[in-house]
Amino acid sequence: MEGIAIQLRDLRKSFGDTTAVAGVDLEIKDGEFFSMLGPSGSGKTTVLRMIAGFESPTGGTVELAGQDVTGLAPFERDVHTVFQDYALFPHMTVEANVAYGLKVRGVPKTERLARARTALAEVRLEGYGTRRPAQLSGGQRQRVALARALVGRPRVLLLDEPLGALDLKLREQMQVELKALQREVGITFVFVTHDQEEALTMSDRIAVFDQGRIQQVGTPAEVYERPATPFVASFVGTSNLLEGESAERIVGTPGTYSIRPEKIRVLKDSAEPDDPDHESPDHESPDRDTPDQESPDHESAAGTVAEVVYLGDSTRFLVDLDAGGRLTALQQNLETSAEDVAAYRGSRVRLQWHRRHTVHVPDPR
Amino acid sequence: MSLLNRTAGALYRRPRLRLSLLLTAPLLWLAVLYLGSLSVLFVSAFWTTDSFTSEVVKVWSTDNFHELFTVPVYRQVILRSIGVALAVTVLCAVIAFPLAFYTARVAKPRRRPLLVVAILTPLWASYLVKVYAWRLILSQGGLADWMLKPFGLSGPGFGLPATVLTLTYLWLPYMVLPIHTALEQLPANLLDASADLGARAGRTFRSVVLPMVLPSVAAGSIFTFSLSLGDYITVQIVGGKTQLIGNLVYSNIELNLPMAAALGTVPVVVIVVYLLAMRRTGALSSL
Amino acid sequence: MRLTPTLKAVAAVATLVLAATACGSSGSTGSSSGGLNPPDLKAQSKLGKSEGEVNLIAWAGYVEDGSNDPKVNWVSDFEKQTGCQVNSKVAASSDEMVKLMKTGEYDAVSASGDASLRLIASGDAAPVNTSLVPNYKDIFPDLKLQAWNSVKGKAYGIPHGRGANLLMYNTQKVTPAPTSWSAVFDDASKYKGHVTAYDSPIYIADAALYLKATKPELKIKDPYALDQKQFDAAVALLKKQNADIGEYWSDYLKEISAFKSGDSVVGTTWQVIANLTADEGTKIKAFVPKEGSTGWSDTWMISAKAKHPNCAYQWLDWIVSPKVNAQVAEYFGEAPANSKACAETSDKNFCTTYHAADTAYWKNIAFWNTPIQQCLDGRTDVKCVPYAKWVQAWTEIKG
Repeated sequence: MEGIAIQLRDLRKSFGDTTAVAGVDLEIKDGEFFSMLGPSGSGKTTVLRMIAGFESPTGGTVELAGQDVTGLAPFERDVHTVFQDYALFPHMTVEANVAYGLKVRGVPKTERLARARTALAEVRLEGYGTRRPAQLSGGQRQRVALARALVGRPRVLLLDEPLGALDLKLREQMQVELKALQREVGITFVFVTHDQEEALTMSDRIAVFDQGRIQQVGTPAEVYERPATPFVASFVGTSNLLEGESAERIVGTPGTYSIRPEKIRVLKDSAEPDDPDHESPDHESPDRDTPDQESPDHESAAGTVAEVVYLGDSTRFLVDLDAGGRLTALQQNLETSAEDVAAYRGSRVRLQWHRRHTVHVPDPR
Repeated sequence: MSLLNRTAGALYRRPRLRLSLLLTAPLLWLAVLYLGSLSVLFVSAFWTTDSFTSEVVKVWSTDNFHELFTVPVYRQVILRSIGVALAVTVLCAVIAFPLAFYTARVAKPRRRPLLVVAILTPLWASYLVKVYAWRLILSQGGLADWMLKPFGLSGPGFGLPATVLTLTYLWLPYMVLPIHTALEQLPANLLDASADLGARAGRTFRSVVLPMVLPSVAAGSIFTFSLSLGDYITVQIVGGKTQLIGNLVYSNIELNLPMAAALGTVPVVVIVVYLLAMRRTGALSSL
Repeated sequence: MRLTPTLKAVAAVATLVLAATACGSSGSTGSSSGGLNPPDLKAQSKLGKSEGEVNLIAWAGYVEDGSNDPKVNWVSDFEKQTGCQVNSKVAASSDEMVKLMKTGEYDAVSASGDASLRLIASGDAAPVNTSLVPNYKDIFPDLKLQAWNSVKGKAYGIPHGRGANLLMYNTQKVTPAPTSWSAVFDDASKYKGHVTAYDSPIYIADAALYLKATKPELKIKDPYALDQKQFDAAVALLKKQNADIGEYWSDYLKEISAFKSGDSVVGTTWQVIANLTADEGTKIKAFVPKEGSTGWSDTWMISAKAKHPNCAYQWLDWIVSPKVNAQVAEYFGEAPANSKACAETSDKNFCTTYHAADTAYWKNIAFWNTPIQQCLDGRTDVKCVPYAKWVQAWTEIKG
């Protein structure tokens, strides 16, 4: 279980003058669900294609299970891919698609058909074998692609944004299924996505990519709670950074700090001067808990609510800090309603969070 | 202005009226000129001719078709014509595939439009000029002889092989173009997927590229087949003494119009049968 | 799936057309083989006033008004002198000429021997009063009142010009020099693949002419009057010849190029082709072999339904007048019909080259005629093979 499935050493790729991958070192363990997260153009897909063998690296090596495969063709690697738009062969039936890899490797007909059926059953597509890809829905096609890649039981399965083309409901359902399937078959999954939520939900570990480099590798909790760079902090989860002067005034020491919005409580500012024209909207705070006034474990900052975004289950407050800068706070709508929170717009508030949620983000510069 | 607006509005509200106004002229053309002349052709095949004056006698008779099937020379010429059309089609496909593969997938994307233009260039030259050029190439001591001489061979001379060769040259662009388009539109990730699943280039070509491009080959073959079947000028110029069905139609058109019509229905029937066969491959939707 | 409604539409239209023709067919004529008992038509007795225009059907090169080549024009002067505006229609084949004449919209036609009899028999051509054509008296006597331009001593047209089908061979490649048509028949295998022949059913007569000399037991008298047995023998000879043929020619430029390149070394030709081929530098010779030869002779005929007969008569006289006849003959490449034309040609040797006045030469020429069921050689005990069967046989010969 603890063997190394994939080892990348100083992997580089340039297309003409543009550098897509600028030196990536990475180790992926056997049986891991590993995600490569990043915005488009960050180099994650190119890395995946170099692992599969579709692109040959400009520099560096790719090792699969300890063997250097850098110079090998795709068909010589024990790696299968699920493509972004599935890449199902339109002229073949679903069954023939799934059995293709086995056929190529000379598995006898009866055996490969039996295995194809089993693989289709694994992705809950029994009885769809004789259809053509064009007769299936997007989610079904996605599962066929999965079955096709899994039926040969490769050492590593590469998934290139496989859920990107599905609608939200289906995507969430597939995330769960995919994770379950991975646990069941025990194959290493390398999952490329630009959706941080998807990466956080499914992965054992995540590599965050930006501009052809890995910014951080870690478990979802590590990446989320302890972003290693400002980029990770802003790309994973909502951006909430305290920088420069305002950071010094609130935290006490200069630097860049990240505070996740859901950790911040929004309190009605008692220090607000009574204004007859500007009547206090509500006697209740959004959070009914009585605030711990100036507890030593907490940091706080005063500001004015610039915008209130009602999200149904929660509300997002955008607060302009008196100390400069802006923070976002997310509050569960436990008791409050849409009208209640709307009244907060323009009013004075005090933001409060536990000191341990102030995460210092080292600046790579 | 207001009248124009009112008319436009009326048309907008009545999609059927709009459609029928739009389609009247082309449908009339199709029904009257195209299908009309085809049916006149078919009907006149059942008439006969006065043997002395060559005048068409409008008396119903199936003699022409009877002759068509019983006189050996007609059967022979029909089979030969179909054979030529098939040979040209196969040759075109065999030559066009690697050519199109190069222009669509191997050549640098920047050069591709230029290559396509180069393939189309022969279509801009006059048909007769091209065929006469081939007459010169294939004539005794011509280019073909000269090039084959070092190998102790000589050119095919005028005849059936020369006809097939020249027709292949003439219709090749009609085969290259659809295959080029199909290969160009072939999603690259299908090739990746095949390699990913363990297939080498040869297997990918056989199992993925070929079956997916086949409808376009069939579409191209509709052009090469029907154009070859209808041709009678190339064979006159480079065919030596070869006769194809077009020559029989031509030689009968003045003296025995009904017989010419009967002969003329043969390629129509053959092509309809060919189209029906090609429809099964999905070729008609790739035209 | 798409085709089904289309096919239905075709069937529907076809049914309609069928219904229409079924009604119309009862009125149309259905004469079988004609035979030479032409309708009793009277020739015009004297010329009246010019009608101001005349409509002609002609071979390409016969009615030139300078529009093809400004130097080639013998129509404008005619129009100036007679006041008859000339409208001409070029026909591509004898059959087209016959068809056009039947419309009744034309006044005169330059018919070859394989069309003239048909026009006479069907009553489309009227007898011609030769006394109304002053230049007729200068026409070579051996062209007058021939089988293809007269019936029972009655003239149906004015001879225009003639030519023989010659045997042409490449003097460097064909040795010894041939003297007989056997070069393209019995001995053709010597030049297998390089023999050429004229691509027309009328070429069957060339084989018959050869058989007339070499197979006397067939008793062929006239190569255009063949009974079934004679016809079969000629066809068999041509089928044998087909194995040695490189290509048939009908376009004369094609024959010139084939002789020039060496693809053809021996075969039939016309004098004008032989001249042009020699001009290209190819070493060839063309001659009438010892068996004689086939040939063609064109005749200007007047329509029985002519609307402008007076202008037509004037045209007939004009086209065979010495000067014009010489012009046409030189432009087209044939022997002129008017004996005085020879003095008017620009090439003084022209008439010698084309044997215009060589009566002995033309004695050996069997001019094209239309084969009909009633044997043209006068036999009544057998039926001869009509031209329609020649056409079909020609297709079979080429295979």
